[in-house]
Amino acid sequence: MKLKTKLTLFNTISKLVIVTLFVLLLPALIRNINQNFTDSKLQKQKNKVLKIISASGIKNYLYAAYSPLKEEFYSLDEDSLDEYLDTIKNEKRKIEGDTIEYRILSYNFIVAKKNYLLEIGKSVDTIEETTTPLQNIAFEVLVGMILLTILADQVYSNYVLRPLDLIIKTKLIAHKFPNFGSYHKVKTSTSDFEYLDISIHKMIETIESAFQKEREFISNASHELMTPISILQSKIENMFERDDIVDELKTRLLEMQKILNRLKSITKTLLLISQIENEQFLKEDKISLSVLLGEVYDEISIRLQDKNISYEAYIPEEWHLVNVNKFLLFNLFFNLINNAIKYNHENGEIKVVATRENNVFMIGIIDTGIGISAQELPYIFNRFKKFRQSLQQDSFGLGLPIVKSIAAFHQIKIEVISEKGKGSTFKLILPNFLIEI
Amino acid sequence: MNVLIIEDEKALAVELEIFLTNYNYICEVCFTGAAASEKIGVNLYDFILIDLGLPDYDGLELLKEAKKNNPEAICMILTARAEVYDRIKGLDLGADDYLPKPFSLLELQSRMQAITRRKFGLKQNLVDLGGFLINLTDRTISYYNTEINTITKKEFDLVAYLILHKNRTLTRSQLSEHIWGSIINDDYDSNYIDAHIKNIRKKLNVYAPPDWLETVRGLGYKIKINT
Repeated sequence: MKLKTKLTLFNTISKLVIVTLFVLLLPALIRNINQNFTDSKLQKQKNKVLKIISASGIKNYLYAAYSPLKEEFYSLDEDSLDEYLDTIKNEKRKIEGDTIEYRILSYNFIVAKKNYLLEIGKSVDTIEETTTPLQNIAFEVLVGMILLTILADQVYSNYVLRPLDLIIKTKLIAHKFPNFGSYHKVKTSTSDFEYLDISIHKMIETIESAFQKEREFISNASHELMTPISILQSKIENMFERDDIVDELKTRLLEMQKILNRLKSITKTLLLISQIENEQFLKEDKISLSVLLGEVYDEISIRLQDKNISYEAYIPEEWHLVNVNKFLLFNLFFNLINNAIKYNHENGEIKVVATRENNVFMIGIIDTGIGISAQELPYIFNRFKKFRQSLQQDSFGLGLPIVKSIAAFHQIKIEVISEKGKGSTFKLILPNFLIEI
Repeated sequence: MNVLIIEDEKALAVELEIFLTNYNYICEVCFTGAAASEKIGVNLYDFILIDLGLPDYDGLELLKEAKKNNPEAICMILTARAEVYDRIKGLDLGADDYLPKPFSLLELQSRMQAITRRKFGLKQNLVDLGGFLINLTDRTISYYNTEINTITKKEFDLVAYLILHKNRTLTRSQLSEHIWGSIINDDYDSNYIDAHIKNIRKKLNVYAPPDWLETVRGLGYKIKINT
């Protein structure tokens, strides 16, 4: 989940929780406020009554009365009880046949050695009649405010997180490893993002220069090795032609030649990979796929024959590869089919199938060979990686790295499906611009 | 034919000289661009082999001089810097061929011969081997007027290479390099030459035993032509 979504979600949920809590507490709260308000009002009335009595005597006020709708009542009478009373509580009273709950202030006092009891009541219904409208108003105002703050949060977090979005989009997602392109500063006033942006940039630069150094090293090293190899090769060839060298020595020269060939192959392959990675090849060729595969077949048929492997190609005649380097693609297919032969059983099968699903063009190279185990599958494209089952083969573990480099150079994706003992399928997924029909 | 070898690696230059002298070329060797420039200005050559990576001279500049002073000469570029850009530039400047290091001496010689034939428009290049008539120009093999069309391109390449270097034993490595040299793959020592030779023999045996195609035990193959 994106940070922005998470923040919005948290904001909304936390606010909703607070609102719910508040709304749940609201009735109790309002009741409390109302009661306090009523109580203080009753106290005030009591004080007023006492004041009047002390000023003008008690006589005229000894009566009981209630308002016409029985919402309030007043009573002052002689009290028969001795105990001291000064309370405010809810009590039910029966007035003219109606039982009504009142909030009643009871207070007794002594005037001229006589006990009097004052009671002032207010019906609970009237006290609580404001509760519901108050609750409703409070609820509405709250919801409105919360919506407003959520909106404000949303807008602000959008604004404040935009640089992060930009960093992710332009610095991480858009970058094609290992070609990073140039640095553009992301505008932000948040120092954390600034730091993040600069750190990512520095890391990318470090990686890039390490890659560049590696590529340069491989390129220089393999170039520098070419001349000594050339000298050795010439010397061996010239010695081999001399009549005064006996056959026994010639056999040994031959072994040297073989080893030199191995060195030459490794060097040439590394050089090729570094040249591809440095984009020193043009992509301007156009060739029919079936013609190209035919050329590969011509080169490789002797190897198929040698192991008695059947080879079938299902390639639509009209498929043409465009914007490609023919030499490189030839090598890509050669290596894939060569592997399909190398790691196949005698009398095995190889199929090359071109398929199209909507606008996705695929070429599958399917073999019935020894397959690749799931543990080894992630490493098959690594340079010089050799696996147990391939040890008896004459290879130095650069076949698939070549394939990978050439495919990447043409933006071809490779998917490998393999089951140990049953065979492998190497599926090339070609971008649209490589195919012309 | 006169060959000027311009190569700053003395050890390589010497081997080139030995090899080409063996093939009856008359060789002169220069280890520096300056010396080569002088020679190009004075003498006429049939072949000029130029190493592009000279320490004292731009190889391409030398190529220009060679083309100017020796317009008839066949110029071949030998270089360890096998970059595409150089390749195009080299050919544009009139180099007749381009051989990236490391190359086989046999390959160099066969390229030199091929260019000579092309340049001088030599007539049909026919070789008669025990009744088999091999036409190197049209790339056909026939047996007493019957054309043998079962021979594949690769197989013909092998026969032609062996004929070109007749009476010499060519190793499997040398033959492999000739017919699969431009393919980059991770095999070494995988020897399908034997399978090819077996096929060639089988196909020719239908007409007559090709005794001229000899296996030199433990070393390689040879085509014997009595001259």
